[in-house]
Amino acid sequence: MTSPDSRVPNSTASASDASLLLRGEVAFRLLVDAVQDYAIFLLGPDGRVLTWNRGAQRIKGYTADEIIGQHFSRFYTPEEREAGRPMRLLGWAAEQGRFEDEGWRVRKDGTRFWADVIVTALVDESGVPYAYAKVTRDLTERRAAEEQQRRLLAEQEARKAAEEALHARDRFLSIASHELKTPVATVQLGVETILRARGRGRLDDARLVAGLHRVRAATERLGVLLNELLDISRLTADQLPLTVGDVDLVALTRDVVDRFADAAPRPDAIRLVAPEHAVISGDASRIDQVITNLLDNAMKYTDGAPEVEIRIEPHPDGVELVVADRGRGLASMPKARMFEAFGRGDDTTSVPGLGLGLHIARTIVERHGGRIAAGSQPEGRGSIFTVWLPREQPYP
Amino acid sequence: MAGRRVLVVEDDDGLRETLVEVLRDEGHEVRAAQDGAIALGTLEEWDADLILLDVMMPRMDAFAFRSAQRARGAAMDAKVIVLSAAPEIETAADQLGADRWLPKPFRLTDVLDSVDELLDGGVGVDSPSARGR
Repeated sequence: MTSPDSRVPNSTASASDASLLLRGEVAFRLLVDAVQDYAIFLLGPDGRVLTWNRGAQRIKGYTADEIIGQHFSRFYTPEEREAGRPMRLLGWAAEQGRFEDEGWRVRKDGTRFWADVIVTALVDESGVPYAYAKVTRDLTERRAAEEQQRRLLAEQEARKAAEEALHARDRFLSIASHELKTPVATVQLGVETILRARGRGRLDDARLVAGLHRVRAATERLGVLLNELLDISRLTADQLPLTVGDVDLVALTRDVVDRFADAAPRPDAIRLVAPEHAVISGDASRIDQVITNLLDNAMKYTDGAPEVEIRIEPHPDGVELVVADRGRGLASMPKARMFEAFGRGDDTTSVPGLGLGLHIARTIVERHGGRIAAGSQPEGRGSIFTVWLPREQPYP
Repeated sequence: MAGRRVLVVEDDDGLRETLVEVLRDEGHEVRAAQDGAIALGTLEEWDADLILLDVMMPRMDAFAFRSAQRARGAAMDAKVIVLSAAPEIETAADQLGADRWLPKPFRLTDVLDSVDELLDGGVGVDSPSARGR
């Protein structure tokens, strides 16, 4: 039903709606204009600036008179302008409706600031952009604060690493002094005991031979420890010349296993699963050292009767050598640290040796262009070391 | 002097055997243990007058051994000489309630003099060769 009465309020309402809308638009423009913390402006489809607000003036340095009608590419660094990035950004916004970007922008005075930019495409009914709304925030201070934070964190980490290295060195010195001084004590005491017994006329052959055997064992132990120390100082100085030739990993491993078998409590303590031959090019004595150290490690960290399996698998481009034991496993220490010098577990002060074996092994393997990795056995019992050596030497 | 009972607790085979041999030569009754746990077992049936004690040992080190020994009241009157290569041997000896300490490597006379003095009841007698307290 239409009546004059009913029509009047209607027409009044639409008039007031229109004026409300207009007032709303004005208010919105004033609002946008008043925003100080964000540069909010419109670009035409060609990239020319259509509107400008106070935030844009504050952040970018241009007044509305200076910038309206200019191309927005002047906000970008010369490199980005040359790379055509400004118009590409508009292209992406047109494709995706909205595009967010972070990067350096240039102020009127040529100084740069770190900006967070959101470009929104305004499209007509057919989906063609008639303008782009661009909202830019100056994140220079936040970025500086973040960088400061990152620097602080990096410094903290570096300090922690330095302290850890110092701690590791102290631990090493304590282990080294214990390991070196004990055989020296045995030699000194052993020789003095023999001399004293002789002085008293109590030195028979059996006593002399037993005493000399103990002295010999102690000096052999000292020799091994000193070689380990010399190796580590050479490795640290990065002087490890390789004498490269053909090496049959299977024959080499058999030699090492034979050496260990003499000292093993049971003849079947070490099992070798391998083909007849697996020849690579490398330094035989150094690779011998790698296998020796891994086997020594496997035997040493076993509390009960040792049980070690060595598997050798040839591949077209190299050979894989796996040493698996049933020892205490690797739970007590991070795997990355294990291969570092002086990086043995904290609970291993009672295990003989300087704790350099794995570090020396890794250095030799890497000098051969290979890899070494450590893991735990599936059932959680024992550890497993995998060495991969390439067939040919990348650095002859 | 009359033979007394000496327990040698040391994990290094060569050093332990040499100490046992030289102390037996001096007329002492000597028992040996490779670690603290074995030493505890020995003291259950055999009372020592003196214990030569290494600090770092597998399974049970000197600290664990001493607290277990005290808890059981085993060989409570035994004198203790600590043997160690550790730089902190003096602190360790103090914590272990030891009568003397000998830093490795030591001379034969250091060991024999320390043993003699402690077993003669000469506690606190400071001799230059026995570098203890």
